[in-house]
Amino acid sequence: MATNNVVELHGVTRRFGAVAAVDRLSLEVRQGEIMGFLGTNGAGKTTTIKLMLGFTHPDEGTVSILGGAPERPATRRRIGYMPETAYYYPYLNIHELLRFYGGICGMDTATIRARSARLIGRVGLADAGRRLLRHYSKGMLQRAGIAQALLHDPDLLILDEPITGLDPLARIQFRDLLLELRGEGKTIFFSSHELSEAELICDRVAILKHGALVWCGAVHEVAGDGAQNLERIFLRQLGEEVAP
Amino acid sequence: MIVWLRQVRALAALAVLELYRRKDLAVVLILSLLILCPLIFFTPFGISGASRYVNEMAMLLIWIFSAVIALGVSARLFPPEFESRTIFPLLAKPVGRGTLLVGKYLGACAASLSALLLFYLAYGVLVGVRQGVWFPVVFLQALLLHAGFVIVVAALGLLGSLVLTPSANLTICALLVGGMFFYGQRLPALVAAQPPPANAILGLIHWIGPHVEFFDMRRRVVHEWPPLPWRVCGAVMLYAVAYATVCLLAARSIFMRKKV
Repeated sequence: MATNNVVELHGVTRRFGAVAAVDRLSLEVRQGEIMGFLGTNGAGKTTTIKLMLGFTHPDEGTVSILGGAPERPATRRRIGYMPETAYYYPYLNIHELLRFYGGICGMDTATIRARSARLIGRVGLADAGRRLLRHYSKGMLQRAGIAQALLHDPDLLILDEPITGLDPLARIQFRDLLLELRGEGKTIFFSSHELSEAELICDRVAILKHGALVWCGAVHEVAGDGAQNLERIFLRQLGEEVAP
Repeated sequence: MIVWLRQVRALAALAVLELYRRKDLAVVLILSLLILCPLIFFTPFGISGASRYVNEMAMLLIWIFSAVIALGVSARLFPPEFESRTIFPLLAKPVGRGTLLVGKYLGACAASLSALLLFYLAYGVLVGVRQGVWFPVVFLQALLLHAGFVIVVAALGLLGSLVLTPSANLTICALLVGGMFFYGQRLPALVAAQPPPANAILGLIHWIGPHVEFFDMRRRVVHEWPPLPWRVCGAVMLYAVAYATVCLLAARSIFMRKKV
């Protein structure tokens, strides 16, 4: 059956000992949308992302990314991934970092050079091109992270807490970049604690609690309504008291 | 195949670039030149024959420094990837874990061998200036076998880096390599002389430890003995490749199952 789902998780469970980090999770991410993946610390967001990337395998259920198993090289060629706070190779500059990741993706030198020149400007690191990454601030490292994730022109971007630690200006630039990427037809899946950011840029949002999906819906249905905004939904789903 | 070669090249280039950028090599090289230069031009008590012992000390320094670099580079191949979380974007790319391992190992070898070449070049030039003998065959054989030593040590360091903490890995590898280097030839006699269970332990080390003493041609170089037959060099290099391959296969088996 033809489907425009880029990510499909069906009844996925991943246990660590007696604890189910992900519990019978079923979720679809449609092509060209920005899906926010929300939850408190330890809710199972990162484990879900690891399952989606094939770093770990489900005890039950199935994971399909871009129509295939996530660990297949053909699937990975179409995925861009940015981890939460990675400290990229401190003795490289951004050009060398992208040349390294381009080589890992099997790209030829001319393509790497052309794409990295464009990307470095796009993520706002053109002025820091020759500086070693060990001199970068956290926000700059996040930008380097998004550049490496975009280098091989993936169809699906998986971002783990991409906004954490960014200053307000960097957040706005980051948000604009994600919206631009959606405009180019990329599918974006990102985990976050930042409800306000999710409300601003996401088409749909999924809320995870103790590894289980407790709410999934379109943001436009709840945004801008004082009685029913994303924060209230989030708190209600987590079982917290909501002030009237 | 082209994609695989690009991946391996990128990984290897990273290890080489890091070695030179970290300035570890520069420090060791400057240190060794500072020690080597006075040694080479020093004639103890005016006895020219005693200069051989000075040369032997210089060669020993090269061995120690090359082991330090090979172990230092190889032991640092994987732990920082996990600590700084760069292993995640790396594994998310279309690259197999086996390729990662091979690329990183070749990078460690390339970095260590480039340092070794610099050490030998410095030694060869200093001895050439002093004694008028420029890069004899026995010297080139010593370099070749020393390269064999480096590829064994790098493989050992890489294997250890996947199962031990960096400091434990460096300590155990240094003890094993140093112990085998100085006492490897005497191990069979030691095994025979020890009561159980010490003889069993020493016997195990004898059979599975890296016989790095095979690669040691210091005395042949220093005392200007004739070169080894090339088939002997070939056999020793074959041993180096076989030992490194076994270490890499063990490392691959561990890395393929390693949880991230």
